[in-house]
Amino acid sequence: MQTIKTHQHMTTPVIAARSVGSRVLRSEDPRLLSGRGEFIADIDLPGQLHVAFVRSPVAHARITHMDLSGVRDCEGVHLAWSGDDVLPFCEGIVGEFAVEGCNPTTMPLLARGEVVYVGEPIAVVVAESRYAAEDACELIDWEFEELPAVTDAHASLAVLNVANSQLPNNLGLKGGGSFGDVAGAFERADKVVEGRYYTGRVSASPMETRGVIAKYGWASKSVQVWSNTQMPHFLRYMLTAYLGFAEQDVEVITPDTGGGFGQKAHVYPEELILPLLSREVDCPVKWIEDRRENLMAAAHAHEQFIDIAYALDNDGRITGVRTHALGDGGAYHAPPWTMAVEPWCAVVMTPTGIYAAPTAEYTYTAVATNKTPVGAYRGVGYMAGTLARECLADDAARALGLSPFDFRRLNVVREFPWTNPQGIVYDEGSWLESIDVVEQMVDYPAFLQRQSELRKKGRYLGLGLSVFVESSGESTATSLEHGLGDVYHDTATVRLGPNGTANVAIGLSAQGQGLATTVAQMAADTLGINVEDVSVDTARSTAHAYGSGTLGSRGAVIASGAVARAAGVIREKVRAVAASMLEASPDDIELVDGQAMIKGVSSSSVSVADVATAIYFDIDSWPDDFEPSLEATQAYDTSRAMFSNGAHAIVVELDPETGFIRFENVYSVEDCGTVINPNIVEGQIRGGVVQGIGASAFEELAYDESGQLLTTTFLDYGLPTMDVVPPFVIHHIETPSKHSAAGVKGMGESGLIAAPAAVLNAVNDALSPFGVVLRDLPLTPEKVLAAMAGGVITTSAPTAEAVGEDRPK
Amino acid sequence: MSDTPEERMDVSMSINGRTYRANIEVRKTLADFIRDDAHLSGTKLGCEHGVCGACTVLLNDSPARSCLTLAVQANGDQVRTVESLSDGHDLSPLQQAFREQHGLQCGFCTAGILMSASALLEENPHPTRGDIVDTVSGSLCRCTGYQTIIAAIEQAAAESVHDSSSTEDD
Repeated sequence: MQTIKTHQHMTTPVIAARSVGSRVLRSEDPRLLSGRGEFIADIDLPGQLHVAFVRSPVAHARITHMDLSGVRDCEGVHLAWSGDDVLPFCEGIVGEFAVEGCNPTTMPLLARGEVVYVGEPIAVVVAESRYAAEDACELIDWEFEELPAVTDAHASLAVLNVANSQLPNNLGLKGGGSFGDVAGAFERADKVVEGRYYTGRVSASPMETRGVIAKYGWASKSVQVWSNTQMPHFLRYMLTAYLGFAEQDVEVITPDTGGGFGQKAHVYPEELILPLLSREVDCPVKWIEDRRENLMAAAHAHEQFIDIAYALDNDGRITGVRTHALGDGGAYHAPPWTMAVEPWCAVVMTPTGIYAAPTAEYTYTAVATNKTPVGAYRGVGYMAGTLARECLADDAARALGLSPFDFRRLNVVREFPWTNPQGIVYDEGSWLESIDVVEQMVDYPAFLQRQSELRKKGRYLGLGLSVFVESSGESTATSLEHGLGDVYHDTATVRLGPNGTANVAIGLSAQGQGLATTVAQMAADTLGINVEDVSVDTARSTAHAYGSGTLGSRGAVIASGAVARAAGVIREKVRAVAASMLEASPDDIELVDGQAMIKGVSSSSVSVADVATAIYFDIDSWPDDFEPSLEATQAYDTSRAMFSNGAHAIVVELDPETGFIRFENVYSVEDCGTVINPNIVEGQIRGGVVQGIGASAFEELAYDESGQLLTTTFLDYGLPTMDVVPPFVIHHIETPSKHSAAGVKGMGESGLIAAPAAVLNAVNDALSPFGVVLRDLPLTPEKVLAAMAGGVITTSAPTAEAVGEDRPK
Repeated sequence: MSDTPEERMDVSMSINGRTYRANIEVRKTLADFIRDDAHLSGTKLGCEHGVCGACTVLLNDSPARSCLTLAVQANGDQVRTVESLSDGHDLSPLQQAFREQHGLQCGFCTAGILMSASALLEENPHPTRGDIVDTVSGSLCRCTGYQTIIAAIEQAAAESVHDSSSTEDD
């Protein structure tokens, strides 16, 4: 495995934790609570026009006729474009993943010739108002010849029909790897347990949809693009690479953003079309996605089949694991992550989990279908992989007659660092402790007794366990560890003013996580000042600090690392001047609680504010050769991959009348190293777990056989509501990383990663009197009722038609 | 097309105590009137299908989905939006409770939830947990997992009990 050298930008200063670790209230909240947030829909530019898209109503068709003259004649319309009109400016966005076996696709900005999913943009209209633009969209005159729609991953694999002519064999991605003597492990196994798990197709569904505003100035040749993207700097780069805008003239602005969860970590056709439209009509143009568009055309997530098997020795220890993932990737690779985002991530990152499996083998396959492209959603691939691994662990426990806690304790890695069969190194973790702690939290013996008593009364309780490890702080090292070569780093700028207060700019856009608060805590402790004396700009503009994107649970680790490094430079300046003022050595000065003091001599101190004032206004206080800039920009990347871990246990009760799952309680153990702000970490856990409950029981993007999307409103696509979500008990373990500022690790994705396995295990535990084990999500009332009648409704078994066999006559 | 007489109407309504008058298309939603004509952007649009609750405002003191209400339907009415909750200096006790309980993350659904909760507390200052859940289950939140929203509304209700009882003590 390739490793990286340790560069300067990978070390951070040691700080005294004052505000780090405390429940600092969020600086974002007063604005957001009083309606003073500024989200993209709230921004109106003078003279702006409004944009609406015409989207394909059919899953797969050849366009035989396209006439926009009726649209253009409509009152209030300034411009209407089809795919032919936009082609001279951009052929489309290439989706390609840098591993063996990837067949790239090019996603056009507007479809030409062929449409390949319901919701694909085929024309765009610019008009005086959104109302007028949508009116005009109705007047499009187009004809199409329908082509067979591929709506099933197994049918796609059998290439009965081609979903997208760019992929003649329907294969977006195919490959695999084998590590150690897996075949031998399975030959010698005392027992083999195996299963096929299916994760349904879902939408991240941030409450705020996507939106883009573009303003082109022909006189200055400048382009400003407002987008609620999670990757503003990457979008800026794409605007230069695909559209040819001069880099120095392009600015991407990210306003307050109403949730992203990965869905906004892509580059979409709409983000590239709007700047072209603004240039063409010479006015600012604005597009706010509506919810129907969001459910149809923003990236979908998750849908894949995972076949997993454990070889077990006669003690019940895992000696080998085989994982085969088949992802339903939709009609294109969603740039930049591609169809790899689910099956590749699932098999490469998750099969061993916390278990000391010595051998592993995997394959990954992603196929094209006539559905919306699948992209990133909070914990890419990890959710499906964790579901398969943790639910198979429960199958193994049942087969061995062990409790789910005991099977995991039997197999858990106990010595660190641990290198898994693929060569991924885990430096530290509380993997065993997390099992023990969550078992105590649920009081397992008491639960078993209650479960048994209630069963006698016809009530079916289940407890499900899911233990996880997740890569966090997505970095160059993480990428290398997983066999890729992506380079990540972020910068932060810290400025200390004459009154001793700090302004911080980071390169990551925020979607509601509270990044401005957590990085203020890190800056305050590094500078030894109060957190109230720090103001933070998250990446509102690419004109400031650089960032590789808010993704991969990297915000807290990477942004706070960059802030600690930049603040560390300022700290040394303050220490030098304080030492001069106190007639001491800089090495003896510590900055804490607003004071620069000689270590151990609290009576000998000067305030940080007085030192800052002196640096600006009093040259006599300076040491010799002092350079007075109190502004520093530093980069940060982690030198090694780092992994958070934890466990969730969920208690459910099944309603035998309705098949509905009642969620009684969630018990969560989280170890993300040093916790910067417990409120924020707990908020991430609750929100992520409830998204996992949604994906397990309520949410499903449903297609019919013709490829028509049936769930285009929140009436059809059911998000979890307040009345169905359970209360939480949360326990923190802190195993700090040695490689991050203050020892923090990322954890933004763990709730969604691990909760679905806990839900499925809980439901299967509740179903155990019925002799049925379910393996497909979502766990709809129909599936639960069928199971309670002894049957299984499955998505996993391909139909005869799907695999091309003759139907029985 | 849009300026034929029957497609436009004069409307006048009070929003947060200030009167707004305009000649608008009859099809314009109350949400769009509040955001685009009154320039009060605190009211958010999450689905425009009346499901998510983000656009909830108080129409004559009752919660209403402003995305499913036409502006002309509110002619002559009193509307309250999230901008009315604080006094321009400090957060209201309900808003402060949301901050202390971490009852929001991205803040996009928050205005609607605050307005639903305000209506609940005005009608029933001592709601049970069940009352809160019944009322606010009509609002979707994708960030918090809801428990801290319940806790925030409970805190605000408890504080108002405390406030009123301490007034009685005086």
